[in-house]
Amino acid sequence: MAQATLEKRGVRNNPLETLVDRVWRFFCSVRAAVIEIAILAVLVLIGTLRGSAVPRWIADAIPITGGLVDRWYAWDVFHSIPFMFILAILTIAITVCTMNRAPGIWRTINEPTIATTRGFIRNAEVSATATLPEPIDRAVDDYSATLKKKRYRVLAEQHGDSTHVYADKNRWAKLATFPFHLALILILIGGIVGARYGFRDKEFVIPEGSTRDVGHGTGLSVKLEQFNDSWREDGIAASYRSDLVLYENGNEVKRESITVNNPMTYGSTTLYQTSFGQAAQFRVTDAEGRVLYDDSIELGLYRASANPDAPAGVIDLPQVGMQINVIAPDEDRPNAPFLDTLNLKSGQMYVQVRETGPNASSNLPDGVVVQGQPQELNGINIEFVRESRFTLLQVASNPGIPIFWTAAFLLVGGLVITFYFPHRRIRAIFDENGPEGATQVAMAPLAKRDWSGQRDFRNAVTVLSGKFSTEFSIRESTDPYTRPGDRPMPETA
Amino acid sequence: MEGMVRLSFYLFAATSVSVAAAWVSYVVYGVGFIRLRRTSLATPAGMTVNSASAEFGPPSASAGRFATMFGWFAAVFAGFAVLTRGIASHRGPYSNMFEFSLAFVFVLTLAYMLFERFYEVKQLGAIVMTIALGMCLYLWSLPPRMREVDALNPALQNRPLMTVHVSAAIIAYATFAVSFAAAILFLIQLRKNVSWLPSADMLDDIGYRAVTIGFPMLALVLILGSVWAHQAWGAYWSWDPKETAALFTWLVYGVYLHTRSLRGWRGQRSAIILIIGFIAVGFTYYGNYFFGGLHAYGGVN
Repeated sequence: MAQATLEKRGVRNNPLETLVDRVWRFFCSVRAAVIEIAILAVLVLIGTLRGSAVPRWIADAIPITGGLVDRWYAWDVFHSIPFMFILAILTIAITVCTMNRAPGIWRTINEPTIATTRGFIRNAEVSATATLPEPIDRAVDDYSATLKKKRYRVLAEQHGDSTHVYADKNRWAKLATFPFHLALILILIGGIVGARYGFRDKEFVIPEGSTRDVGHGTGLSVKLEQFNDSWREDGIAASYRSDLVLYENGNEVKRESITVNNPMTYGSTTLYQTSFGQAAQFRVTDAEGRVLYDDSIELGLYRASANPDAPAGVIDLPQVGMQINVIAPDEDRPNAPFLDTLNLKSGQMYVQVRETGPNASSNLPDGVVVQGQPQELNGINIEFVRESRFTLLQVASNPGIPIFWTAAFLLVGGLVITFYFPHRRIRAIFDENGPEGATQVAMAPLAKRDWSGQRDFRNAVTVLSGKFSTEFSIRESTDPYTRPGDRPMPETA
Repeated sequence: MEGMVRLSFYLFAATSVSVAAAWVSYVVYGVGFIRLRRTSLATPAGMTVNSASAEFGPPSASAGRFATMFGWFAAVFAGFAVLTRGIASHRGPYSNMFEFSLAFVFVLTLAYMLFERFYEVKQLGAIVMTIALGMCLYLWSLPPRMREVDALNPALQNRPLMTVHVSAAIIAYATFAVSFAAAILFLIQLRKNVSWLPSADMLDDIGYRAVTIGFPMLALVLILGSVWAHQAWGAYWSWDPKETAALFTWLVYGVYLHTRSLRGWRGQRSAIILIIGFIAVGFTYYGNYFFGGLHAYGGVN
């Protein structure tokens, strides 16, 4: 023993091992975990409020905080170094803590200490004693059989003239803490895998009748065959749908209609319906009749600089070093009518031709084109073929999703098992009592400050009382939370 | 359909009355018996000295019986109000704050009544029914147009997920409200040790048991929300304010669960964390009023 103490002291004197020991204990500490989770919660709160009007209210109420609030809005908490740091610390803490707790939990499950002391039973918050009208061996057998019927595992050991009995149930549920904590790490891994190996294009626009490449090395392209929408009486979109055709390396591989809650998946790539808008189909030819452009442009991603109610778009013509700016009719005429100087009608588009490149002319020929009537501007013929729509999709590939689903399953499963199958333990000591073959039993649960555990114990005692046809004497301590020296509230105040 | 909506509204009105009656009864029961005494003494000098005293005692059993009866009335009326609205809308009625709050009143009263039955204590009702009454008043304050059943906007058109995701949120919030009530009474009991209130030990257990329902439920809310977001928005997590507010709430209760195994924290400090947790619930619940982002619906923006 003395040798062991010396060796232990020797270990502590080694600076490196002392440091390792301290770091290990830090990561195993529940107190540290509480602080880490609390810091994470505070950062999440700061980030959450950033997406709200609350900081602005603070700045309005306390003008001196204006600069701080501006910085608050500018700080992307969830992608900041402190946030990543605390996540990393928590991940390490979960890993180290799991490694540290696993052997102890395994011992509790497989090799629990059966022997107990009379002091433990005497000092327990609740305990029960009885004199059973049976010899000790039969009493222990009946006790074990009764608890086994209530799903307890019962283990007994002889210590002198006494028999010590340990009973527990739901012992395997103690392992559920591991999948739960593993799930938290897996969620982070899933996020990292998704960010590192996936992609997400948030603004993938396809005008009706057009085809767009997905890119990102997928070899996929998508055609919007048709766009359908329906509207409520109050002017809010009731539903909208894109009829898509998917091509892989030019070959049609899938044809599907998608809505907001029904995306289309092919391989690891998924297309999500996000929004939609107005589009216009144009045909542009040069003086020799060669087609420079025959497609649709989306209107609405841009707005006319002089009138925000007028959707606008751009046609690029790199082969002739030109660009055509297109402005559609005002969408909301009653609003600021003085800004609607173009006064376009349905079936009309304003176009302005701009030369690009170093020798571009500052001359900007423009005009109003009427649907179906080509107009010559700056040497090119511009025809507004028809109005149409564009669909706004998201295209994403996230290889972290299966990891996330696994984590979700482990997280909820782990929590449910931990909470609803609590490990219940009862210790008992059986003693022979007198020459008539009676047995004295004293028992108590391991349920300190655990009201439900103590209630389960009382229920077990009730069942045992029925089995032995003997009244058990239950001793209960006072409420453990009531501080010493406290007195009940006086009846007259 | 209009008839069902009207019936649902009448049932909500009945719920409000029952909640108010239950609240009065639970408060009377929770406070206990009080007798005020005034005594006037005449001094030899001819002056009169007045003294007042209050006598406290255990509550009357009949107040408790009435409280329980009205509590069950509230739960049943609210349940039918939600059911009839669900029949009228052909979905889980959770598309705006009126529907969501009505369902919350139902689950809150039901959850509390079940806790009352399981633990055989009624005093928590004084706090839980205060919250329920506050919710009823909030419901009455909402614009009448929100009482109409509207078609879902495209983002919400996923009936199975909306029903389960929002139901889980309501159960989580309701059980957190019960844990909040237990924490308040726990702190009172710790300081006053009132003989007719439940023991602090039991109140601690009620708070914990309520969180063992709410915490996995809120985890389920976050997960099902992610499943839905993955389908509708193309990403299972977008750092949307409503998402992160729910995450914040979950983390606060995560702190609470860890403190229970920490010497010196279990008890008073844990109870304080439960109170902070419920403030976080309120923050998440009413977030639609001040959050932008993807969850900016609910009829209040």
